[in-house]
Amino acid sequence: MSWPLVLLITAPVMAGIASLFVRQRRVIEVLQCAQAGAMLAAAALVADRVIADGEVSVGSFLRADALSAWLDLIIGVVGATGTLYAVGYVGEEMNSAHLSLKRYSHFFCLFDLYLAAMLLAVNLENIAIMWIAIEGSTLSAALLIGFDRSKAALEAGWKYIILSSVGIALALFGTILVYYSSEHVLGVSSEALRWSQLYRVAEGLDPSAIKVAFIFALIGYGTKAGVAPMHTWLPDAHAEAPTPVSAMLSANMLTLAVYAILRFKAVTDRTVGPEFSGNLIIGLALLSLAVSSTFILVQRDYKRLFAYSSIEHIGIALLGFGIGGLGVFAGAWHLMNHALAKSTAFFGAGLVFLRHNHKQLDRVTGLLSQMPIAGTAILVSGIALAGMPPFGLFTSEVLIAAGAYRARPETTYVFLALLALAFATLLYQVLRMTLGAPGEAGTALGRQCRIFTGAAVGINIVALGTIGLHVPSGLETLLTSIVKMFGGGMGVSR
Amino acid sequence: MPLLAPHIGSQMVDLGSALLLLTCFAIVAQRRLSACVDLFALQSVFLALTAALVAFLTGIHHIYIAAALTVVIKAVVIPRILKQVIERLNVKRELEMNVNVPTGLLICGALVILAFFITQPIIPLGFLLTRDSLGIALAIVLIGFFTMIARKKAVTQVIGFLVMENGLFLGATAAAYGMPLIVELGIFFDVLVGALIIGIYSHRLQDAFDSVDTTKLTTLKE
Repeated sequence: MSWPLVLLITAPVMAGIASLFVRQRRVIEVLQCAQAGAMLAAAALVADRVIADGEVSVGSFLRADALSAWLDLIIGVVGATGTLYAVGYVGEEMNSAHLSLKRYSHFFCLFDLYLAAMLLAVNLENIAIMWIAIEGSTLSAALLIGFDRSKAALEAGWKYIILSSVGIALALFGTILVYYSSEHVLGVSSEALRWSQLYRVAEGLDPSAIKVAFIFALIGYGTKAGVAPMHTWLPDAHAEAPTPVSAMLSANMLTLAVYAILRFKAVTDRTVGPEFSGNLIIGLALLSLAVSSTFILVQRDYKRLFAYSSIEHIGIALLGFGIGGLGVFAGAWHLMNHALAKSTAFFGAGLVFLRHNHKQLDRVTGLLSQMPIAGTAILVSGIALAGMPPFGLFTSEVLIAAGAYRARPETTYVFLALLALAFATLLYQVLRMTLGAPGEAGTALGRQCRIFTGAAVGINIVALGTIGLHVPSGLETLLTSIVKMFGGGMGVSR
Repeated sequence: MPLLAPHIGSQMVDLGSALLLLTCFAIVAQRRLSACVDLFALQSVFLALTAALVAFLTGIHHIYIAAALTVVIKAVVIPRILKQVIERLNVKRELEMNVNVPTGLLICGALVILAFFITQPIIPLGFLLTRDSLGIALAIVLIGFFTMIARKKAVTQVIGFLVMENGLFLGATAAAYGMPLIVELGIFFDVLVGALIIGIYSHRLQDAFDSVDTTKLTTLKE
């Protein structure tokens, strides 16, 4: 029995259900802070155990290997700072009388269940129950995106739920096909749905069934990861959702969908070799990069700007995983750094929205002197997201370019050209927003809001800076095990 | 000892799957929303009968539970919710569609061929009794997907989604004699909650836009 793993998942469930029944704001705030602390500690403990023992399991139901622990760290840390931020952000909305206490408690209940569903999904041993948990996170996210009930929010929520439902249904078909081929080897039982068993027998599975299954899983979970051309829900949902939710969508949910694709890829690579899944993933990744770096150019809404930047970064990480070998190392590293940086960027963007009540990019200037917390958040995360040192995204992008050059030189040129385009636009916009003289005055934010959001931004920036230039040895152990899961990669003989 | 000769059993399962596919075409051809809901309920009954037949022929008892749940949730509860939505929103007919009915039926015919093309290499892998249903299951999933694209009213898009789910359930039954029970229960729960949430959304859309015509959702564009 491994209690940190159980605590990691049950903490948000309990805090969420309790928030629904408590009718005092102070109690809900304390509950949420306790949840954030518990998640942070539990994620660190789970990662620590996995680094020491290789894996942690609870019966045959939950099992965390290196890849799960990696996602536990990402979702745990960013989920914790997101919870702190939500306490500040939603509290401020409540003070300005947008929200009743009832809706306030509903928000936190949904928010916590959403985090819990994602944390459950990455630790499940059963491939089909993982699907159920991911669908659970989709449904709770749908209610969170439309939470404001404005026309735009409802439209974004509707688009999201329709597209994601289709995607997730296709992913279920992929899951059924994996079961279809594995039950011939493992027998008609739950054993045939366990990841560890699937990896063990993968070489004996039927290649054509696994190929079809992978295509369905890639399209299905790819829709949820915002991979082009199934990305159309993403900018709307990120722009219209309440900002704490936007941050969680971008940092956690897209990462979770990539995780699901990776699990299927690990099985497929063992059955038919890395070329098949690698080629498909590289194609979709380059398309995502092309679409996002073009649309970043024309954005006039700062939340949409960061949303398209998410499509770009998920594309970069997928390119790494598609190349394999060193690319897997860089892709996983990219996912963690992107989650920290992008949530920080949204934290800043949310504060700007609270103060000015509009999302127009060209009306925002001089944030650094007007709103130090939001300004610092957007400046630091913007530099990181553009891919400049001293941050981890620089390291991973260089490594992915190097890996791509070794395996597939022609992709490298496309990759670097698209990267340069996104780099220039993002950096220009971020510098223009943060430096210079402030424009409109807006309404100043309350003290409580500044404390909670400041804490969230502070933790994220410290984490981002600490892992910036070198990979801590514990994390390196995890990354090495993740690379081993995927074998040699493209261009290297099996 | 099986009660029926294997080839008769397999023919009956094929017949059940074919009836499911037929109701898909009927849904694509039908303009009245309440009739679409009825057709979906009928399809769910066919699905439950097919699943019960597989359970009877194979002696795997947990498929009976899944079949019973299909009747309760997909043939009774969800159609009732959808009828209430239709009544409250006062939308009776789908007057304009993105694709007209004859073209839609032709496209669906092409989708069936595509589905059999995709599943052809993997069909020989399956159990003799049900393996031909796998192609039909994928065809139903694709037609459900097409319905979501071709129709404009929120309610018909929901029906498209539910038809996809029916196809998936048939696929799981055909390919693998059903998923393990806990998985089936989880999927049912998700479908029910999903249908409820989509129902809530269409109410809110009606309040905000005075319409459930999703082509009016045009605020968010590049």
